[in-house]
Amino acid sequence: MKSKMSNFLNKIIILTILIIPNIVNADFFEDITDKIVDNPKRLSYGISVADINQNGKYEFIVTGFGYPNLALSYDNGILINIANQNIFSDESRKTIGVAACDVDRDGYEEIYFLNTDTYSGIKKYSDRLIDLEGNKFLDMFEIEKNKEDLNLTAGRSVACVDRKGNGEYGFYVSNYGGPTRFYEIEDKKIKDKSVSLNLDKVTGGRAVVSGHILTDRSDIFAANERGPNFLLKNDNGIFEDVAFDYRVDDVIQNGRGTALSDILYRGRLDIISGNWQGYHRAYVLKDNQFKDIGNSKFDKPSRIRTIISADFDNDGYDEVFMNNIAEPNKLFRIKENGAFEEIILETGLEPVGFGTGAAVADIDDDGILELLISRGESKEQPLTLYKAKVDKQSKYLRIKPINKFGAPARGATVTLITNQRKHSKTIDAGSGYLCQMEPVAHYGIRKNEKNFKVEVKWTDGTKNLIKIISLNQTVTVKQK
Amino acid sequence: MKKILSKFILIFFVIFQFESLAEEKNYYKELIADWSRIFPDQNRNAAGPKFFKYIIDKEITYKDFTEFNKLYCAVSGSLIDPNSEPDFIYAKESNTGEKICGDYYKCCIPCSCDIMKYSEVEKMKHKFLDGLEEFYVFTIRNPCNKEDFPDRVNKNYFCDGEKINNNQVYSLNGRVVIGLLHEGRSCKKEEIDFVKSHQVTGRFCELRNNTPLENLKSGMGDIFIKLAR
Repeated sequence: MKSKMSNFLNKIIILTILIIPNIVNADFFEDITDKIVDNPKRLSYGISVADINQNGKYEFIVTGFGYPNLALSYDNGILINIANQNIFSDESRKTIGVAACDVDRDGYEEIYFLNTDTYSGIKKYSDRLIDLEGNKFLDMFEIEKNKEDLNLTAGRSVACVDRKGNGEYGFYVSNYGGPTRFYEIEDKKIKDKSVSLNLDKVTGGRAVVSGHILTDRSDIFAANERGPNFLLKNDNGIFEDVAFDYRVDDVIQNGRGTALSDILYRGRLDIISGNWQGYHRAYVLKDNQFKDIGNSKFDKPSRIRTIISADFDNDGYDEVFMNNIAEPNKLFRIKENGAFEEIILETGLEPVGFGTGAAVADIDDDGILELLISRGESKEQPLTLYKAKVDKQSKYLRIKPINKFGAPARGATVTLITNQRKHSKTIDAGSGYLCQMEPVAHYGIRKNEKNFKVEVKWTDGTKNLIKIISLNQTVTVKQK
Repeated sequence: MKKILSKFILIFFVIFQFESLAEEKNYYKELIADWSRIFPDQNRNAAGPKFFKYIIDKEITYKDFTEFNKLYCAVSGSLIDPNSEPDFIYAKESNTGEKICGDYYKCCIPCSCDIMKYSEVEKMKHKFLDGLEEFYVFTIRNPCNKEDFPDRVNKNYFCDGEKINNNQVYSLNGRVVIGLLHEGRSCKKEEIDFVKSHQVTGRFCELRNNTPLENLKSGMGDIFIKLAR
């Protein structure tokens, strides 16, 4: 009897050991790709999230490389392309990078499409800067007075930078094999200001983010290939590269995707930088230097492209999604003290997916982020769409800062302050690889969390503190 | 019953502990992160001495010291992939002329020939975090007074005028230390025979070491040879 009992318990032990990892790693994502209407195989690259038709809802803007640029809008449970004007869809050009922000201070976010028809150096077709007049899209670069400074260098990513903190955005264009460009409107003309701003360096530009990294103004981190990264400190609107001093130059790694993330939940933005087949970095600022605190699972070299930091499952802890090309994707949860815990993916793994870009947005307005992945490069593939399987009891809070011109305050920092954390998020100005996320700070709520306040730090460094009375809502905060 | 439950708890505990204890120091990652500190002008030609100086100046254990020294090539200055296999070689000890055998981690095979021919080893003592250790290091003559100092090597890395620049590289008995001979010891006869008969350290090196410098077409060794000869 005793021996039977012992056998039985031994079996239970073995079974438990086998089962525990599967319980811990229950499938994280749900595949909702079927919500995309008309989703053919194509070569897609960067994705941005912006309101292209001023209807108050965000669209996923998906670039096409010899395929049309799309604007996927959510309506009646489906995602459908609403971009049908040639200047926007622009099938003849090869678009890879995209970012949107309000360059002309009219409250509408102009869309920068970075076209690239060559790997490096001089290219044939310039970029487009799409504005909306009435119901018609137009390319601001096609207006005669704006043709002086066209970008005719191959490039990759674009990010919006409010360098003066006055809501007058410019575009940092991360070029490859030619000088970096910085486009801004000056005297009613689009001008490349890169030389006067100390930004005109030649490198293998890959990824770029902008936000409150070092100062109370918009700083820039640019992850580069075949050369050091740039950490561009904003000094009254002019930039100084301090990457070496802050130890993020990472000179013999090849940067690819980057994001800002509050890795230690301490109320400041640090840097995540994915290196192509190199060590992925989780840079945390300490004593005026960034220290890489990624563990061996996190930093393991991979064929990385986009990298996203967001709370997909509304548990109050951010995840880091690593989109790899022709290699399985990875997902990590950032626990307290910067501990990266790998979440084993089944859905969303895409081992043979040629991931080129990805972005998050709560596109269906249900309080849970959707993850759209674009694919392509060496093989035409359809888009994929995922959503985390979220505990039905979970709660969320979304903060949408709008600047004084009525535009999303990209580059502003939102900090959620509760009894458990001080958690900063950037209003995405451009991140990942070639991409840009929705301009909303999305927070899942932790268990037993209370006393909710939100601080918005605007691009000029001024702050607003807001008391949150109820959860499960999107709070729009307007700059005065 | 109690015993079984204890077993169960123990297994459970051990599994989760292993997970958290698995994190090991990544020496290669650290060298990569600090690369621009070691080579501010990004020129690492023949700059094994810069790596050695960077490593010896760290507050580390002897194990850390040996692990770091497996990751660069003392001849070329290249990084070496982790888990690379060393060549078993010998080199002459400066003081005694005795052959000292040991393991040399190289970026490519010609470097094993060059280090055997153009460097000498010296015994060195150093106090690490875990105590005093004695080991053999590869050294070359002070190159700073050479008229034909190779163009492709950053002279400021090595020299302060005609003197060795001790802020940049480590010197021992007036010679520049370029790397560590791992597991160094006096050679036994059979070890010398092994090196001489090995297809790389024997046959290939004999050919390479008898080839005039102007005809050498492999490895970064020609730069090193100009520096060390």
